[in-house]
Order: sequence, then C-alpha cells, then structure tokens
Amino acid sequence: MNHLGHDEFVLTYYGEPGLDDERRAHLDACDSCRGELTTLAALLDRVTPVEVPEPEAGYEARVWDRLQWRLHVARPSGRVRRRAEVRPTFWLAAAATIAIAFFAGVLWKSANRRADEPASVVATNTTSTARPIESAKTPEPNRILLVIVGEHIDQSERVLVELTNLTPEGSTDISGTRDRAQELLASNRLYRTTATTRGEEDVATLLDELEPVLLQLAHAPSEVSADELRRMQQRVESKGLVFKLRVVRDGVNRESSTTLSPSTSI
Amino acid sequence: METDHELIERVRGGGDDDAFRLLVERHSRAVYRSAYRITGNSADADDVVQETFLRAYRALERFDARAAFTTWIHRIAINCSLDLIDSRKRRDGRVNDGEDLTAIASTAASPDRVVHGIEMQRAVALAMERLSGNERTAFVLRHFEGMPLEEIGKVLGTQLNATKNTVFRAVKKLREQLQPFTGSLI
Repeated sequence: MNHLGHDEFVLTYYGEPGLDDERRAHLDACDSCRGELTTLAALLDRVTPVEVPEPEAGYEARVWDRLQWRLHVARPSGRVRRRAEVRPTFWLAAAATIAIAFFAGVLWKSANRRADEPASVVATNTTSTARPIESAKTPEPNRILLVIVGEHIDQSERVLVELTNLTPEGSTDISGTRDRAQELLASNRLYRTTATTRGEEDVATLLDELEPVLLQLAHAPSEVSADELRRMQQRVESKGLVFKLRVVRDGVNRESSTTLSPSTSI
Repeated sequence: METDHELIERVRGGGDDDAFRLLVERHSRAVYRSAYRITGNSADADDVVQETFLRAYRALERFDARAAFTTWIHRIAINCSLDLIDSRKRRDGRVNDGEDLTAIASTAASPDRVVHGIEMQRAVALAMERLSGNERTAFVLRHFEGMPLEEIGKVLGTQLNATKNTVFRAVKKLREQLQPFTGSLI
C-alpha cells in the first residue's frame, strides 16, 4: 500500500475526518509514515500563536474618536439624526482652549528639557568616556526623522491652511487640496509609526491627530457643498491642528538643527 | 445592559450614534486581536479595526438578526485583514523576500535556543508573511483558533475542498520555509 501523502498527514494532525480505516491501519503499521507524522507534528507544535499586545487603556474611546467622523461621511442621507448645529463661537472657544493647553504643555516640557541640559554638559566635560555616551543619546536615525518630519509637517500645515481659508459658498472645488492630502496620508502613517518607535512622543501624537483629518480630506469628493466644507474646516479648527503643527514644526526644526550642529555631535 | 441586537435596532431605527459607539466599545478589542493575528502588527490591526466598523456600519441594514453580531463582525474583520494584506502585496511585492530563513536558523547557537528562543518565532513570523492572505487566514483559524475546516470555509467563502487545499498549501509552505529548523526539533 502507498504511504500517506502530505494532505493526509495534515488532516491527521488536526484530527479532521478524511482518512478511511484502511489508511489509518497503514499509518499505525508503517514506521516511515509514523516518523513523517511525528516530524510534521514536531514542527507544527512549535508554531505557537502570535502574542497579541494588549491595546492601551482607553483604546475603545480612541477607536471611536477616529471612527465617528468617518461614519458621518459614510452615513446614507436621512438615515441618521443630525447633530444640533453648533455655533462658530463654540469652535473658536474650543480651539483656543486646546491651543492654550497644548502650548502650555510644550512650554513645560521645553523648560524641563532646558533644566536637564547643564547636567549633560557637565557630564561630557568631566570624563572623556562620557562623550560618546552623551552623543549616543541622540541617535542618527532620530535626526533624519526630525528633518523629514519637519518638511512633512510644513506641507501638512499648508494643506490645512488652504482648506480653512476656503469660503464655504455653494459648491467648492477642493481637488487640489485633496490630492496633496492623499500624498501626505501615506507618508503620515509611516512617520507616525517611526516616531512612536523612536520615542518622539510629541511628533507621534500630533501625526496621530493629523491622520484622520488627512484621511477625511483624501477621501473627499472633488467638489464639496458649503456644509461639508464648513464641517471639514470645523474639524481642523476644533482640534487646533494648524497651531499644533506650527508649534511642533518649530520645535522639530530647532531640535534637528541643534542635533545636526557640529558642536553638539562631537 | 442592552444586547447587541437591541443596540443594532437602535442604530437601524434612528441612526443612533451612541448605540453604535457602544457596539464599537464592546467589540473593538476582540476585533483588534483577530486583526493582529492575521496582519501581524498593531498599526495594520488598528486600520483593520477602523475599516471593519465602517463596513459594519454601512452593511448594518443587511445584518441577519438570527446571527451573532460577534461572528459577523469577526468575519468582516478577517475580510478587511485579507484586503489589507492583498493590497500591500500588490503594492510592495512579496514581503521580506530578501531575508533568508536559513540564515536565521544558522545564527541560533544551539537546538534548545532554536526551539525555545526568539529565532524560531521570528522565522515563523517571516514564513507566515510569505503566505497568501487566504492561506494565512485559513492557517490562523485552523491552527491557532482551532476552527473546523467547514467553518473556515464559511469565513473565506470557499467550498470544503478548496478550504482543505488552502490549509494544505499553507502547511506545505510553512514546512518548506521552516525546513532549516526541522533537524533540531525532534
């Protein structure tokens, strides 16, 4: 009788039906087939499930935050109750609050960083071995990342400013802005992931906030109604995104030019 | 606490955002885990979660109330994961073709390290990446989730024989890819 084939070994390993009594009897009696099954089992037993990292606390809220505006776009007209119209003053107030809170955070962090600097300088001057350790704290990939991200943030800011400067009247052609958003979207995700990996939290957080806005813009039609345009503008303004982009861009430019300066890299 | 079906009715009836938010909050972690097992990384799993709930929202009118929402949403998640893998392969070509599994095997210092260490995990992850979307999903569902072949067929929308062949192909490819390790396994 013929030996069992690959497919039959797989079925047997997983305990799936498929082997008739005759084939089972052969497997029991044949050393070669039993050996082959053992080899396969030894391999598959070691293919263990991928460990799934548990999402952080508040993951569900973050999912919903990113999702809800997309539902608004996806929503078939008339199916869903409309949200109450919110007065522009509310958005202005919200934007101002967010911007102030964000700016305060940046200033606080910047002050803390400056407070730490003298200790680093002392460390580099006291022993010769301390120098390479200090310079290693700013790895080369971070400098490159910051330079590239600075350019990306600059372009994103221009796109958002362009959007918020449009006048919501009748039907507006936003195809140019949309096309640029599409280009930026692909790189945004890459930079966000890289920034997270490299520990650039400010940049990662900003790009995370920027992404759904770019996504919405990238998937917008060529022409939008005044209401749609107003909604998109309110989304940008309510998050204070343009302001945040400017603050982080300035910080990134400062940091990248500092880290690239010869005096600090030696 | 309202059941999933009650929440779905609220969304269907009046487009109740809050009801859909509750569904998202209830199921997003489980969807994330499914997506992660297939895509293999958090960024992609996050994207799949977004796309899954968006598709579910759009298709909610067609949801069969006799079915469990959990099963339905997981099927959508698996399809989204497959779409993502396929589109990425079309865009980038095959993943990690440059990496040599033999090289990974040879870097392992001893058989014990191969068996228990990260080298094997890495090799498995690479080998999994080289499977097609359907093969990877079928293998994950059969091997990790213990799902019967018939059920897998329902998820993938394939007949039993086609499903079997997908699993057979996946195992064969994994076996070939992990060949350098087999000597140290027995």
